[in-house]
Amino acid sequence: MQIYICVKHVPDSAAHITILDKNRIDESISFLLNPYDEHAVTEAAKIKNNTPDSEVIAVCLGKNDAEKTIRSALAMGADRGILITCDKNYDSMVTALALKAAIEQDGTPGLIFTGKESIDAEGMQTMFRIGAVFDFPVATNVVKLDIEVDKAVVDCELSGGITNTYEMSLPCVLGAGKGLNTPRYPTFPDVVKSKKKPVQKIVFTDLNIKDSPAGMRIVELEPLHQARQPKEIKGDAGFVAKEIIRILKQEAKVL
Amino acid sequence: MTQKKYDAIIIGAGIIGNSIAYELALKGYKTLSIDKLGGSGFGSTAGSCAIIRLYYSSPEGVALAREGYYYWLDWPKYLKTIDPAGMAYYKNTGAMVYKSEHNKNLAPVMESLDALGVGYLELTPEEMKQYLPNPDLRSFHPQKRMDDPDFGKPTGKSINGAVYVPESGYVSDPKLSTHNVEIAARNVGSDFMFNTQVVDILKKEGRAAGVALKDGTIIEAPVVVNVAGPHSYIINRMAGVEDKMNIKTRALRVEVAHVPSPAGVDWENTGIITSDSDTGVYTRPEVGNHVLIGSEEPACDPLDYVDPDDYNKNFTDQLKTQAMRVAMRIPDLPIPNKDQGLVDLYDVSDDWYPIYDKSDLPGFYLAIGTSGNQYKNAPPVGSFMSELIQYCESGNDHDKTPLQYRMKYINRTLNIGFFSRNREINQDSSFSVIG
Repeated sequence: MQIYICVKHVPDSAAHITILDKNRIDESISFLLNPYDEHAVTEAAKIKNNTPDSEVIAVCLGKNDAEKTIRSALAMGADRGILITCDKNYDSMVTALALKAAIEQDGTPGLIFTGKESIDAEGMQTMFRIGAVFDFPVATNVVKLDIEVDKAVVDCELSGGITNTYEMSLPCVLGAGKGLNTPRYPTFPDVVKSKKKPVQKIVFTDLNIKDSPAGMRIVELEPLHQARQPKEIKGDAGFVAKEIIRILKQEAKVL
Repeated sequence: MTQKKYDAIIIGAGIIGNSIAYELALKGYKTLSIDKLGGSGFGSTAGSCAIIRLYYSSPEGVALAREGYYYWLDWPKYLKTIDPAGMAYYKNTGAMVYKSEHNKNLAPVMESLDALGVGYLELTPEEMKQYLPNPDLRSFHPQKRMDDPDFGKPTGKSINGAVYVPESGYVSDPKLSTHNVEIAARNVGSDFMFNTQVVDILKKEGRAAGVALKDGTIIEAPVVVNVAGPHSYIINRMAGVEDKMNIKTRALRVEVAHVPSPAGVDWENTGIITSDSDTGVYTRPEVGNHVLIGSEEPACDPLDYVDPDDYNKNFTDQLKTQAMRVAMRIPDLPIPNKDQGLVDLYDVSDDWYPIYDKSDLPGFYLAIGTSGNQYKNAPPVGSFMSELIQYCESGNDHDKTPLQYRMKYINRTLNIGFFSRNREINQDSSFSVIG
């Protein structure tokens, strides 16, 4: 089985991000493999280990520098990579068409993974658009996955912590969520091996992607300024402790 | 506007500045500490790895670190207070220093440890393995950058062994420890001003007379101490003393990486400090079961001297390079795609030894050039800087007859002239954070 993971080269969210011309960011900062895609790569590598004659291929649409992100996926367990090189950022419709063209040129997908979202655009659309152009079923925020002979049994987490279970025919498209696994980070020997794995480069224009009838573009980017709003909790230690627990449960909803 | 007069103004409320304030206050000086940032230890002290270790390239360095160690062992007793914000504490881990040609196989360090009666173990490569999770002890020297095709390839030989010093560790929270000293100093009468920038050093009759602040305030004092860390050279220029110093200071940008421990290893609680001059990195256990990784400035890495008020605070390839150097040694070490750690500054002197001295402007003193390796020495430095100020202010010529400081814990004398601004560059230095 050929398992394709569609990965994205995204800016490090911890970097100091500067907006230029009100519609793009200064890209002279660190970029990395989209964190949700790490779950996808880890899961794909796990399936590969349990499925004889399977192969994991990381596919990325991005600028030349995105090879680093493909190498990260290779170090985490993908076998080879395909980088569709372009010189600008495309919306999810064009991205899905380009990924489909590159995947079809390469082989026959048994399973396609993405992350449930990218941490830069947070569009959460690409997996659905890939499903649409291939005519495959799609599930996102996948937190549990069992591959059976002719189907995938998938748990997806919805808002509020509700989980739905779906049976999906294969091939299908899965958007990996955080709960799916703990990413297996590469070690030094993994990184050394990844350098020797093949990465095929395809020029975006060579894929002859037709313009979509509709599209999305960024009109304006504005930085979000979030001021801290400290609040003092007064009272004795017992009351303060109870109040903190209440806030964490009811307001922050982290307990 | 002129405010009340102080006996001494300390520029910089980092760990060393606060220690000087505390020690001066104990001697009866009315001190004022001024810091540009919002609190004690908010500057480069906050980024310190706060490692308490004894391997330095000079006997003076080893002795001073040993003296400092005893202060940290009994921190509340030294400060005679309990800080309501909590007390920083010393955590003993032990430290393993790799032998290499670069550090002369640690012969000078072992000689200094012997002279001080400090216990240590000389380890064979086989014995080193018990301190590290599944290590690869082949040599990777000389160090390389990640884009070098030979990066990570062993160069044939094995590590030559190591020296393990059990009495080594780190302080839990460097910023909190600096706040602890502030509280202790306030208890004995010191004042502190934060969010306050010094823009000039006042002079009167050929000596320091106080400082001018950005808002126009003038504060008078016959003694001014430059403990401005990475901003030290700027303060020296205000005082007009920099040109007359043989050893100068600059702000160096450094990165420190945090990576998770190998699976199944509780490095946070069982890990040690390591100094690996073969790969050019040092490590320390870090909270969250992480490994903290700093650089020992190998020759292949460019030194990034910067303007301390305008430098790149984003991670660069340097962070991953450091992590990968440890990953060569510990092949099970996971390297996350997302970088974690910090970017901060050292106040580096020309030979990476500190300057603890008077200056050519009477009344203007220097505790600078700490080069990323003096956090641990702050309490005894505070003690001898306060003695140095008394010594000079009572008419002694420290340049001609340097102060001889008695280190009370180890009962030895330290020639403070060793740290002179006018020394020749000390060629025994490691020219790195090791000092």
